Amino acid sequence: MRRLPVYLVLDTSGSMTGEPIEAVKNGVQVLVSSLRQDPYALETAFLSVITFNSAANQIVPLTELSMFQMPDIQASGTTSLGDALSLLSRKMDTEVTKTTAEQKGDWKPLVFIMTDGEPTDDWKKGLTEFQKRKFGMVVACAAGQGANTGILKQITEVVVQLDTADSATIKAFFKWVSASVSTGSQKIEASGKEVSGLNELPPPPPEVNIVV
Amino acid sequence: MDLKKIIVDASEDQIEDFRSKNQRRIETFILDLWEKYQQNPDPVEIDQAQVIDLADDGDDRQCGEYQPNDPGNPDELGNPDEINVNETEMQKQGASERPQYDAIDLQIKSRHIALPNGKVNQNYDIHFDIEKIIPEISGIKFEGLDQAGLQFVPETKKITGMPRAAGDYKIKMYCRRHDWEEGKPTIEREITLIINPDPRSLWVDLPTPENIEYYKPDCNREFIKVEASETVAAKDMVAASKRGRSHAHEGKPRDDDFMLHFDDGSGWYVMAVADGAGSARYSREGSRIACRTAVDTCITEITNRRETFEKQIRTFSNVRSEENRKQAGDTLYHIIGTAAFKSHKDIEKEAVDKGNPVKDYATTLILSICKKFDFGWFVGAFWVGDGGIGIYIKEPPFLKVLGEADGGEFAGQTRFLTMTEIVQPMELYRRLRFDIVDDFTALILMTDGVTDPKFETDANLNRIEKWHDFWSNLSQEVDFSDDNENSAEQLLKWLDFWSPGNHDDRTIAILF
Repeated sequence: MRRLPVYLVLDTSGSMTGEPIEAVKNGVQVLVSSLRQDPYALETAFLSVITFNSAANQIVPLTELSMFQMPDIQASGTTSLGDALSLLSRKMDTEVTKTTAEQKGDWKPLVFIMTDGEPTDDWKKGLTEFQKRKFGMVVACAAGQGANTGILKQITEVVVQLDTADSATIKAFFKWVSASVSTGSQKIEASGKEVSGLNELPPPPPEVNIVV
Repeated sequence: MDLKKIIVDASEDQIEDFRSKNQRRIETFILDLWEKYQQNPDPVEIDQAQVIDLADDGDDRQCGEYQPNDPGNPDELGNPDEINVNETEMQKQGASERPQYDAIDLQIKSRHIALPNGKVNQNYDIHFDIEKIIPEISGIKFEGLDQAGLQFVPETKKITGMPRAAGDYKIKMYCRRHDWEEGKPTIEREITLIINPDPRSLWVDLPTPENIEYYKPDCNREFIKVEASETVAAKDMVAASKRGRSHAHEGKPRDDDFMLHFDDGSGWYVMAVADGAGSARYSREGSRIACRTAVDTCITEITNRRETFEKQIRTFSNVRSEENRKQAGDTLYHIIGTAAFKSHKDIEKEAVDKGNPVKDYATTLILSICKKFDFGWFVGAFWVGDGGIGIYIKEPPFLKVLGEADGGEFAGQTRFLTMTEIVQPMELYRRLRFDIVDDFTALILMTDGVTDPKFETDANLNRIEKWHDFWSNLSQEVDFSDDNENSAEQLLKWLDFWSPGNHDDRTIAILF
C-alpha cells in the first residue's frame, strides 16, 4: 500500500513553555482525532512527530493513524532547527519506502514545521541535508513574532505566520494542518498525485497568515 | 539537594514532604529519566524507574508505557540533564496543593501507561499485567471499560471484548497497595483508550444524480454465452464495472466503461474496457464512446476483411516468419487501428458538438479481438493508458501481456486515447500486439482500478506468479465453469474487494 507520510516537526524549546506547548499538544490531539474520521486519511496517512529543543528527537516514529498514541511533549532548552532538519532527512531515508520495479513506494511526505524562535544551532547544515531529499509539500509555521520567517523561507516557499502563539491561534493552525492532510490524501486517491502548492490546500483560517 | 539521594536514602516522612512540595518537578524528572532510558537503556542508571515490559500472550499487541519505537542513535540524545536539583528553586516552582499521595501512587501517576488502540468490530485482546511491573500493588479495577465494550478479567489479566463504537474513552484504573486496609485511599489513574472506526463504515455510498449530463449507472455487468458448435468454440465472455468508493463517497459518477460483442456469423469475439480520466469532466462519456465505437468498428472491419485476414492468420500459424507476421499485423492494424482512430474521432466530434475541450473526455482504451481456429486461438490487442491485458494459462504456466502500460513512476504521464499523438499511424501500430496460442485459461482486460491493487506495478503485471495469485483469488468468488450465467453477478461482487487506499472505479472483462 502506498502510504502518505506526514511529519510534524515541532519546536519544544523553553520559550514554548506554558500555553503554547499545551496548545501544541492539544493541536496534535485534535489533528489525529479529526483525521480518524476521514476515510481517505485513515487508510493512507501515517504520522510521525519530531520535536526539537536542545537536540531533535523523533518522539513518534512513522505510525499508522489508527495506531497513533499521543506522546508526552514538554518544553525546555534551545532551538536546534538544523538538527531537526537533519533528523527529518535521516528518517525520510529509513522510514519512507522508495518506488522500485516490484513495488510502488510511498507518496512524498507532507511536512509541517512549527517554530517560535531563531535557530540556535548550525541550521544551514541541516538545510543542506534536507534539500538533498525530495519531500512533498513542506509548510513552515512561524508561531508568533519571535520566529525568523527569513530562515523559514529558505527551507520552503510555503511559510505561514501566527500573530500570537496563544492556544486559539495554534488550534486554528492545527485544524488547518488536519484539513490539509485530508486534502492531500484525497488528492492522491482521486488523481494519483501529491499536493504540490499552497493553492491546492484548503484556504488557511484568518489566524494563519501567508508570508510572501 | 541531590534528588537521587533523597529518594534512595531519606526517611518516608522526608520523601513525603519533599514530594508534596515538588510534585510536578519530580514527575518531569522521572519522565525525563524514563525517556532517556527508552532511548539508550544501558548507560543511564535508574534507581526508581523500572522498565515496564508487559508480556503479551503471543499476540503482537502489547500494552504498557508509550514507547518511542526509535532505538535512538546516541548522537541524537541531548546532553544528560543535571540530576542535582536546586531545592529552593524547586520550592518556588513546584509548591502544590495536591493531597498527600503514596509513593506508589506517584509511580503510577508519573508513568505513561497506555492501552493499544482498538478498532470497531475487531476483537480486542491484550494482556495487562501491571502488578508484574509494580509488584507493590494489587486489586486492579477498571471503570469505563464497559462503555467501550471491553472488560478486564483479573484472573487472566486480560482486557478483552469487541468494541462497538468508535471514540476516545477515558478509562479509570484503580489499584491499591498490598497493605491496604479500610480507610486508606485507593490509587486512581486515568488512561485514554482510543477505538478507531472501521474505515469501511466511513465510506458513504451516494447514488449519482440521474439528471447530470452523460448519466451512467453506478455499476454494470454482462455475460455473453457462446454455444459450442462444430465451428464455434465454447468460451464465454463476462465483464463487470463498478464505481469506486471515492466516487461513491461524493456521489460522483463512474468513469469506467466496457463493451462485449460476439459475432455469431464469423465467430469473432470483441472486447473493450476504458477508464475515463479522474480529472476530466466528461471522461465517463469519453470511455463510453471509446468502447462503443471501437467495438462497432472492429465488427465492421472484420466483416470487410475477414477472408484476407483469416488466411493471413492461418499462413502465419503455419510458418511464423517475419514476413507472414507483418502481413497479418498490417490487416490487424486496419481493423484495430481504425477502431482506435474512429473512437478518437467520435470523442472529438462529441466534444466539438458540445463546445467542450477534447481533454474533458480523456479516456484510456484496451481493445481485443479474438477467434478460435482449428490450429488455436488468435488474440489481437490494442492498449493505450494504464490498466492491463494478458493471456493467461494456469497449467502449464503461460502469460503474455499484450502491450505495455503507459504511466507509472517510470514511464511518466499516463497516455489517453484522446491525445492527438496517440492516433498517429506509427504510434497506433506500436501499440498493437497479437499472438496465436493453442488454448488459454483466460484473456483478461482490466482498468487500473483492478491492476493497481492486484498487481501494484507494471513489472508485476509481467510476473506469472502474480497472475496465479490473481486468478486463484478471482476463482474463489467467480465460478468460471462453462455457461455460468451467474458469473457476471459474481464478478461484480468480487469487484467490491477491499484494498486500503485503492478506491478507484474498477472494470474487468474476461474471455474464459
